Amino acid sequence: MKRWLKLAAGAAAVTLATAGCAGSGGTDAGAAPSAAPSDGTLTVWLMTGSAPDTLTGALNTEFESAHPGVKVKYEVQQWNGIQQKLTTALAGDDAPDVIEIGNTQTPAFASQGVLADLSGSVNDLNGAQWLAGLKASGEFDGKTYGVPFYAANREVLYRKDMFEQAGIAAPPTSDAEWIADIAKLKAKFGSDPDFQPLYLPGQYWYSLLSFIWDNGGDVAKADGKSFKSTLDSAGAKAGLEFYKQLVDASGTTAPKDNDEANPAQAGIYGGGKVAMFIGAPYEVATAAKTDPSLTAKTGAFPIPSKTAGQTAPVFLGGSNLAIPVNSKDQALAKDYLKLLSGAKYQTQLAAAGYVPGTSTDVSALDSDPLASVMAKASKNGRAVPASPKWGDVESGQNPLKDMLTAYLTGKKSLDQATSDANAALDKLIG
Amino acid sequence: MPAGATPPASPRASSVKPKRGRGIGERTVPYLLILPALVAVLVLLGWPTLQLLGISFRKLDLRELVTGKTVWVGFDNYKQTLSDPAFWEITVRTLVFTAAVVLATLIVGLFVALLMRHLGPVVRVVLQVTLVLAWATPVIATTTVFQWMFDQQYGILNKTLDRLGFHGFIGFSWFSTGTSTLTVIGLLILWQGVPFVAFTLYAGLIGVSKEQYEAAGIDGASAWQTFWAVSWPAIRPIMTMVSFLSVLWDFKVFAQVWAIRQGGPDGGSTTLPISLYLKGIASSHFGASAAIATLMLIMLTLITARYVQLLVRSKEADLS
Repeated sequence: MKRWLKLAAGAAAVTLATAGCAGSGGTDAGAAPSAAPSDGTLTVWLMTGSAPDTLTGALNTEFESAHPGVKVKYEVQQWNGIQQKLTTALAGDDAPDVIEIGNTQTPAFASQGVLADLSGSVNDLNGAQWLAGLKASGEFDGKTYGVPFYAANREVLYRKDMFEQAGIAAPPTSDAEWIADIAKLKAKFGSDPDFQPLYLPGQYWYSLLSFIWDNGGDVAKADGKSFKSTLDSAGAKAGLEFYKQLVDASGTTAPKDNDEANPAQAGIYGGGKVAMFIGAPYEVATAAKTDPSLTAKTGAFPIPSKTAGQTAPVFLGGSNLAIPVNSKDQALAKDYLKLLSGAKYQTQLAAAGYVPGTSTDVSALDSDPLASVMAKASKNGRAVPASPKWGDVESGQNPLKDMLTAYLTGKKSLDQATSDANAALDKLIG
Repeated sequence: MPAGATPPASPRASSVKPKRGRGIGERTVPYLLILPALVAVLVLLGWPTLQLLGISFRKLDLRELVTGKTVWVGFDNYKQTLSDPAFWEITVRTLVFTAAVVLATLIVGLFVALLMRHLGPVVRVVLQVTLVLAWATPVIATTTVFQWMFDQQYGILNKTLDRLGFHGFIGFSWFSTGTSTLTVIGLLILWQGVPFVAFTLYAGLIGVSKEQYEAAGIDGASAWQTFWAVSWPAIRPIMTMVSFLSVLWDFKVFAQVWAIRQGGPDGGSTTLPISLYLKGIASSHFGASAAIATLMLIMLTLITARYVQLLVRSKEADLS
């Protein structure tokens, strides 16, 4: 008996070591969705930093007064670890009724059949004015699962005072001008070893997307229902070469083996030794925490194209709204989406500096010089491949980041880096 | 030797043999007493392990999780995992990494323990406090500090090396290959693992009486001989225990590896726990990731089989 117990204890120790990583199995009981009665509470999950509190406060009050007896349980979620949290929540008995999902994550959830089919309600939700770049991300197999919420895209944010001192009259309108302006800035301020004309970290793959698309390339192309990566195409290679050209021309000291969030590029810009960076308008507010004068000194221009006079396509980041199939109040949830997608709240979203998802009226953005540039560029917005497996790329190991680091550090040749990344991406989404 | 130093009689010698004819109740009492602990172990460890085994034979993606359907796929998850060449590459990498880190932890830990034995009281306390601080710092905090130290542009390591005359390290990327990334991660785990090993071994070392060292000195033993003849026998069982524990901890280490480079670049620092996470949490293939977890469990059982064997055989927990 004693022997047996010791053996059990030893085995238990080994089990403890691995069982912790395993995760639980979920319920085996086949719970039928939408059968449960409404409990009078509408649970809404929006992400941090999306809709401002004034908007959601007014929205929830209006919804509650229009639906007597219904209480809106509004909860703000963090982006970090949201995929796991949603997975757990959607599988549970008490699923939220309205959720916000990042546009690149939406196909993964839609393809697994865990979101309610909203195809019949598109017209009720202002369907005619949906933002094209987001609309596609909410569709799967010809059905609509996600309603565009808002989008934001990147532009070049620059120091107006530095441009003036370097004798640059107007922001660049082509890649060649952009490179020339970098040289001018370097000539003027280069004596300061900490100065960088353009801050560009090595793994800023959202910027790379712009350059790849501008050169006629793409990340992957749809091949029936599956995807085939096209990172080894001539256009993709040209985009990667231009990225390196920018890094070399600027002599940026940004890490080549990390992305724009590590360290946060707005913080570096806030240090006052950077003339330009590629970012979203809200990043200037972060930089202004270090140096409040930056708000007035910062201007914006769209990411230039290789073709003079045009602008490069931009990656449209943003969110969709969806209703989980396990929601107990799907009709109420649709009413909530209807209210949110109406002109009143979409205008408020625009005023908060976002491109609204279900309204083409972006006049509220025009009052802000940085946001108006973004809104114009958003018309040329594009999305990552609408593969259900794209979530794996972003939540796991991103081959585009590895490709950038390998090429920029000279570890791999252009052909080697692109063909390796192509194979790695095929393995993930192919 | 003074008479008082005579060791007390062994407890076994003085124990009274159980009398025959005791009631059956009295004989079952000890087993009843350990029953709660046994139930806790079975519920908290046995049940999840059975669940894990069950899931590894199922297709459990997000769809199955949400709809609650049970789809049995037999050995498909195992076949897929075992036929993937990347899995074997990751397995070998994990084993080599674990072996290297465990070996380094034991050697450095032993060295620090011996050092503590020979240091003066003040310096020793300073060293001990330092070790406790290194040990007590949260894993992610230490990981962040290491990331800053090894940063390509702003890291103190590259700047220091540059000052020392190694100008090649200006802008040197420590995370550009899997091997150098794993080396940094290994140093990080070593940093966090040494204090426990050092303290445990030190506890064993102070159990050896001064007289034994004096006797060895009188016999003319060198420091090396003294270590093997006096110190080593005292700490050998403890060494076995800490190496077993270190293998368990280092084989399944996740947080540090993930936080440094998410198993990159190009998957070059991906270990088994990382691939488990990528399959399960990042891609929502819970069945396939359960298969990897089960394979890890089997590997750990094989690696530590010898220890379990010793544990079962030993009469008085005397491991050697």
